[in-house]
Parts: sequence; C-alpha cells; structure tokens
Amino acid sequence: MQATKITIKSLAKSFITFRGKVDVLKSIDLTIEPGEFFVLLGPSGCGKSTLLNLLAGLEKPSGGELYFDQELVADAVGKFSGPFERDISMVFQSYALYPHMTVEENIAFPLTNLPQVPTSDVMRTKVKEAATLLQIDHLLDRKPAELSGGQRQRVAIGRAIVRNPKVCLMDEPLSNLDAKLRNEMRAHLKDLQKRLGVTTVYVTHDQLEAMTLGHRIAIMNNGVLQQVGTPVEIYRAPVNQFVARFIGSPTMNMLSGELNEEAGNLYLQADALKIRLPAETAGRLKARNLKKVTLGVRPERLYVKSEGEPDLALPVNVIENVGPEYLVYSFHQQGQIVVRTPDEPTGDRLDLSLDAGHLHLFDEQGARINL
Amino acid sequence: MTREEIIKSCLIFATGLFLMAFTLGPFIWMIWISLADRADFLVTGQVEYSLSNYRQVLTAHSLHFLDYLSNSLWISTITAIIVTLFSSMAAYAVSRMRFPGRSVVPLLILAMSMFPQISIVGYLFEMFSKAGLINSHMALILPYIAWTIPIALWINMSYFTQIPLDLDKAALVDGAGRMKVLYKIIFPLALPGIFSSALLVFIACFNEFLFAIMLTIDYTAQTLPVGIALFQGLHGEIPWGNLMAASAIASVPLVILTLIFQRYIVAGLMGGAVKG
Ligand SMILES: Nc1ncnc2c1ncn2[C@@H]1O[C@H](COP(=O)(O)OP(=O)(O)OP(=O)(O)O)[C@@H](O)[C@H]1O
Ligand SMILES: [Mg+2]
Repeated sequence: MQATKITIKSLAKSFITFRGKVDVLKSIDLTIEPGEFFVLLGPSGCGKSTLLNLLAGLEKPSGGELYFDQELVADAVGKFSGPFERDISMVFQSYALYPHMTVEENIAFPLTNLPQVPTSDVMRTKVKEAATLLQIDHLLDRKPAELSGGQRQRVAIGRAIVRNPKVCLMDEPLSNLDAKLRNEMRAHLKDLQKRLGVTTVYVTHDQLEAMTLGHRIAIMNNGVLQQVGTPVEIYRAPVNQFVARFIGSPTMNMLSGELNEEAGNLYLQADALKIRLPAETAGRLKARNLKKVTLGVRPERLYVKSEGEPDLALPVNVIENVGPEYLVYSFHQQGQIVVRTPDEPTGDRLDLSLDAGHLHLFDEQGARINL
Repeated sequence: MTREEIIKSCLIFATGLFLMAFTLGPFIWMIWISLADRADFLVTGQVEYSLSNYRQVLTAHSLHFLDYLSNSLWISTITAIIVTLFSSMAAYAVSRMRFPGRSVVPLLILAMSMFPQISIVGYLFEMFSKAGLINSHMALILPYIAWTIPIALWINMSYFTQIPLDLDKAALVDGAGRMKVLYKIIFPLALPGIFSSALLVFIACFNEFLFAIMLTIDYTAQTLPVGIALFQGLHGEIPWGNLMAASAIASVPLVILTLIFQRYIVAGLMGGAVKG
C-alpha cells in the first residue's frame, strides 16, 4: 500500500466563545512524509488535539490549506472532506470505546461502515488478525468495562488499524497507563507502526515518548510551531529556550547574566555565580559583541573537575542517587542547577568544567545564538 | 461487625421498615377492603371475603370501568411515545449540536412547566371547546404532551450529556453517518434515560386528574382517576368495595410496566467508554 503524505499550509484555527475569539492555532506549516511516525509535542493546552482534529476532519480550519498527497481535503473557504473520505483512523485521548459493544464488535465497527460491507467471515478474520497482532484475541467477547486500561488501549488501536487507513492519528494514547505498561506499549506501538508502514501522527506531552517514538518531532507552544526535526537534532540544537527546557530530563540548566572580560577570559556573571566560558566559545562570542546572554547546559554536560581551576563552582545542597548515577542539586537565585555524575560527590562544594561543544547560548529574546 | 456498623444497619433496617409500612399501608388497606364483601366490616366485625367487588367492576356496564381503563391506557401510551420521541431528539440536539440559545432553550422549556395546571385549564377548556375537542382523547393527549415534555427533556438531557462526545467523533471517524451514530451509538447508550422518562410520563398521565376532569365529560374519554372518583353507589352510599377493587386493578398496569422497565433502567451502562 502507498503511504500518504500530509501537507499543512498556514493552517489556523480559532474558536468563537462567549469571551470572544480564541486563536488556538496560528499559521502552522508542516509536511509529514509518507510512512513517517510523526510526533506532535507540547505542553497541555497548546493546541495539539486541535491540530489533530483538523487533520482528522472533525474540525474545520479557519485559515490555510490541508493536503493529503496532492488532494486538497480542507481549506477555509469551503472545501472540506470528512474523516471517512480522508480515510483516516484515530485513537482518542479517552479511548472512546463503544461501551455497549463487545471488543469484537468495537474492532469490527469501522468495517461495517465500508461502502462494501465485507462478509461476516472476512470481517471475523480481519478482526482476529488485528486482535492477534495486539495480543487481545482472547478478549474478543468481553465488554470494555471488563478490561484493564492497557487492554482498552489496545482495543482502541485495533479499531484504528483494522481497515488499513491511509493515516493513523493518535491523541496521547498512553497517557493513562502506569509507567511500566507505558514503556511496554511504547515499544509495541513503534514496532506496529514499522510493520504497517502507515503515516502516523502521534500527539503527546511527554518528551520521552516523543524522543523514543518519533522519526521526527514538532514542538508546539501556544499554537505556534517552535521547531521541527529529528529527536537528535532537537536535542542537540534546540532553537529556543522553550524547546531546550521541554526536551531532556532532568531539564537543561539555564543561567542568564552579563558577559564580562577579565584577564583575557570571558565570564558570565549570573547573579552571585561567576562562570568562566571556554576559550573557544569566548572567542566566538566576543566577535558578536553581546552583553547579556543565557547559558544552557544539560546536567550530564557539567563535568566534575578534581584538579586545576574550575570553570564554575557550586554549593552542594541535595544529592539524589538514581541507580547508576547521582543527581546533585545546587540552589541558585535563578532556580536549581542539576549536575549528573557517575561518582558520588564528597564535600559541600562541586568544582565543574564546561565543554565548548555542549553549550547552548540564547539571546535576550530566548532564541538560540548559533556560534 | 463493630458497634457502629450494628447501629447503622439497625437504623437502615428501621427506616426501611417505616418507609415500607408508610407506602404499602394504604395499598394493603385498599386490597383488604376490596376483598371484603361489606365495607363496614370493621364496625360490625362480620366479614366474608369474596371476589364479588372485582367481578362487579369488570362486568357491570353501568360502571364503565373497562372504558376508563382503555381510555387511560391509550392516552398514556400515546403521550409517552410522542413525548419520548420528541424529548430524546431534543436532548440529542441540546447535548450534541452547537446552535444559538442551546443553553437557554431547556431553561425556557422548564420555566413553561412552572405554571400551575389550574391556571391554564380554564383557557384550555375554552380553546378545546372552540376546536370541538372536548371529551375526546385528543383533549387530554395534547395538554399532557405539553405538560410532561419538560421533565422528560431534562431526564433525557442528563443521560445524553453523560455520553462522551468522543464517542460521536470516534463513530464519525469509523465511517458512520450522523443517523447511524444516533441509532447505533447514542440511543442504545441513552436507553436507560429514554425508558425512565417514558415510564415517568406514562405514570404522570395515568394518574393525572385535573385536566382529565375538566376536559372530558363522559366515559368515551374519561380516564381512570376521574372515572373511579365519580363512581356512584346504587343507593346513594359510597361503594367502597367497588372503588377499592377498581383502584387495585388500576394499579396493575403501572406495576407491570415498572417491573418490565426497571431491567433497562440500570445504572452503569456507560462503564468502560473512556479511561479510568
Ligand atoms: N471548542 C472549543 N472552544 C473554545 N476553545 C477551545 C475549544 N477546543 C479547544 N479550545 C482551546 O484551545 C486550546 C487548545 O486545546 P487542545 O485541546 O488542542 O489542547 P491540547 O494541546 O490537546 O492539550 P492537552 O494536552 O491538555 O490535551 C485550549 O486552550 C482550549 O481551551
Ligand atoms: Mg489534547
């Protein structure tokens, strides 16, 4: 089967409410490649579900155009085809199983709506196939109320894949499962998508899910796309502070302050903390002639330095042992600074060094400074 | 069991007993009198039990009991069907569709039911007289529809709004048309609400007295409550035995109906639709 490409052109959506007009999506431009596992990531309320509903054909756009392959499926002036014409399927944030139907009837429901309804034998085989793939074939006679969360979730996925849709949309399908089951299902989903090869758009607010599942990730905030790229690209070079904070756990340390030059070294004075920037970074920064910057360093890129003069020194406030490594917390006026280190630190002061290759710098507006 | 639990269950039991005695008392009294051949048996102390009252009520043409019964059944059934149809559709619209005034309409309809019956019955009489409807089934069905639709709408609404909107969306995505969503997904799930509203409307119409006595004249349209109230004794005395037998028979349809319907009015039909 030929997978579908989705093209989104300056798509906008606003709702008219009692309190006035709410712009939920502001001019989204995006291309989703055929067969891609594409993840929409963003905080709660940023418009992820709204974008998904627009793709599904459950909402009409207030601006822009939406193409499935070459075909225009929705625009703001009147062209609109419904979910079924678009041949999409969807797994809902709430699973939205039909409570009065058995698992078998739930999964078979999309088949009963096809223009040519398959014979009951064909239908049963297809349901069985999907159920076996998801390891729920022993539950076919049950009602949704008699299933566990994970099983319900798989029934919802079964219903979504049973008729081989062009595009599969998933709205936070794992958000209600416990941590262990979530990890299991994540791997399961990834494998399933690879086997089916169907273009998939997956919504989540969990950065770990996004990083592990997506071929590419789009990060949204307040209805605006912040960055689109592979997990590695986004992790290595976040385009602004929002993305930098959103991706990675524990979150990236951010310290803002003024740049000072002293005795040939460039220092960042973040309130009481004085940070010496590596010579390479310093050289490039000087050429830019910036006064105030924000420095971002991931916890694992702050290296403990046992001898020589450190780039920065932090007081140790809390130490957490998380299995193979330690998280060291140091409280600072601008929030806590976290250091991730394999060895348990001794003493109440931590001497650290920086690596020019793993520093992120942001300007006063929060945008990345590419050195 | 702890002390607290013992006291609790005692209290529950006592309250239950009291409520049962309170509600069933008159009922048992009614059955007792209907089975006695003389209504004054308490005074005289002589009593013979027989079914003669029932036989009389069912066979004596002059009492027109069967006419009243069939009038009541017809009027209540037709009203219940029409009201259920309209109120469930309206509840669907109010809970599902976006249209201006969707939060105001149910309130207005509820406000309509706040008028006491007595305040409109005079005007209704005049209107139906002009239309030549007095003493017909229509004379009761029409006002009953208007009178019961608010309560039916609100019962249905509470059930329809409980059905998650995601189910509609899921069914649309799965390729079902609007009508199919309605009869395959929404109505089956709202069934308990639809049944309870139908039952309540039926009972209300079956028991209604004021409209019935004002808008009907004789046994061609009079309903049971009116008919029984107007039972005339042969010698000017109140025929308690007949009255009680008629009342006992009159409650049979309601009991049967409630027994049938309560199976459908079970809570928890929604289990498992959404997460949790
Ligand atoms: N029908 C509507 N009318 C008015 N505002 C709406 C409507 N639907 C959504 N919104 C608003 O749009 C914004 C985005 O909603 P959306 O459901 O897309 O968020 P989300 O990113 O999916 O969040 P979550 O992660 O919590 O599911 C919210 O602020 C919400 O209040
Ligand atoms: Mg959402």
